[in-house]
Amino acid sequence: MAELQRDPITRGQFLAMGIVGTLVGAVLTIPPFVFIINPIIETNFQGESDIPGDWVELGSVWEIPPGAPKEYRVEFPQHQTYHLPKEEKGSLVNAIYVSWQDGKLPSILEDRGRGSLSTSEIEELSQQINVLSNHCAHLGCPVRWLEETGLIVCPCHGGQYDINGDYRAGPPPQGLFRFAHEIREDGGLYAKHEFTNGTPWVV
Amino acid sequence: MIARIKARTLVVIQSLMDWMEERTGIVSMTEHFLYEPVPSKGRWLYTLGSSTLFLIVLQFLTGILLLFYYVPSTDEAWDSIYYIMTEAYFGQLIRGIHFWSANILVVVIGLHMMRTFFSGAYKAPREMNWVVGVVLILLVTVLAFSGYALRWDQEGFWAWEVGLKIGSYTPFIGEYAATFLLGGDTAGPATLSRVFVIHVWLLPALLAPLIGVHLYLLRRHGEFGSEFEYSKRLAELRERQQIEEYALYEEGEGSLEEDDGTSRG
Repeated sequence: MAELQRDPITRGQFLAMGIVGTLVGAVLTIPPFVFIINPIIETNFQGESDIPGDWVELGSVWEIPPGAPKEYRVEFPQHQTYHLPKEEKGSLVNAIYVSWQDGKLPSILEDRGRGSLSTSEIEELSQQINVLSNHCAHLGCPVRWLEETGLIVCPCHGGQYDINGDYRAGPPPQGLFRFAHEIREDGGLYAKHEFTNGTPWVV
Repeated sequence: MIARIKARTLVVIQSLMDWMEERTGIVSMTEHFLYEPVPSKGRWLYTLGSSTLFLIVLQFLTGILLLFYYVPSTDEAWDSIYYIMTEAYFGQLIRGIHFWSANILVVVIGLHMMRTFFSGAYKAPREMNWVVGVVLILLVTVLAFSGYALRWDQEGFWAWEVGLKIGSYTPFIGEYAATFLLGGDTAGPATLSRVFVIHVWLLPALLAPLIGVHLYLLRRHGEFGSEFEYSKRLAELRERQQIEEYALYEEGEGSLEEDDGTSRG
């Protein structure tokens, strides 16, 4: 058959061309492709975050009122395209809603001074506190507390959450995202940029 | 006398055009590019494609001008736009044209698509041009949306966040797409850089050649059926011109060959 072809090539030549072509193609395409998907490798496969998992102080448990969430504004340090260890730039301010379970002040805080908390008290308070992201679980719009309705409401598409951040109505597929939090002996409340019920994205 | 001057001028222009045509083909190319026969009924609707092209060119031109001032960093993006709007001479005008022509572009391109659909101009052999047009409308939509985020103001930021969240719900790849566009797991400097690259380099680089393909396919197949085919119309036009020239020659009112010896075949 080979003699019928205008430019006969052997099977070996064909295979060699294929191998060389594949190698050249790989050299030309893999580095730029991996270069631009670097965040996917780091975030989705290596589980890294742009925000180091440091605890950031919000306030103290004594400040959180019954019946309504307290809003804290936090700027988590962010390391993304550039790393500035002393002067962080480019990070976004997050609003965090902190409330007591069902809006009720825990009984251990009633008629109690601001003395240091015991381990059992910290454990009990940790279970009764909600540290919520203010980004709607639907499409990420910032939600707000509406005193009149006693609900946390999203202005974009009408998602509604109760004071615990649990889903009440509207399009969100779940309740508000919950920050990992920590209560310390002096009553200090700290949050970390980690979420216990999903990934909110963007914030 | 005036008639003679007019005829001489025409001859000079004609010979100049012939000279250029012979060497570059620019005359037939321009003719081919500019003239497209369309049905007389509803002819204004056939200007929507040209309007789209005009608006895209306007986007490119004003976009390049804005790049002289825009700083794609989270700390300076909004400030640089504020500077364009308040300090730079004609900044409001340039950005206003960029902003409003982008808005109008989305509407005009939609109308252009509707006209193409309702007039049946997507039918064989023009299916590929329809497909290219659909890709173009998607590119323009993403361009418009990414431009929104470059302002890095409240409106643009939240629109981008909502868009990104919608994208993150895409089955299988949504999570990766969100990370890719964010440049990590949170919005920040990398996000703005990526949006900037997509808006200023990537999408225009895809858009420009696709517009070329769109126009080439339009010229190849024409806007409508065989009765409007360009080659047929051009042949008829040439034939008519030859008849007219011959008639002039016969009447002895100015033979081109006699005047300067040039022949136009």
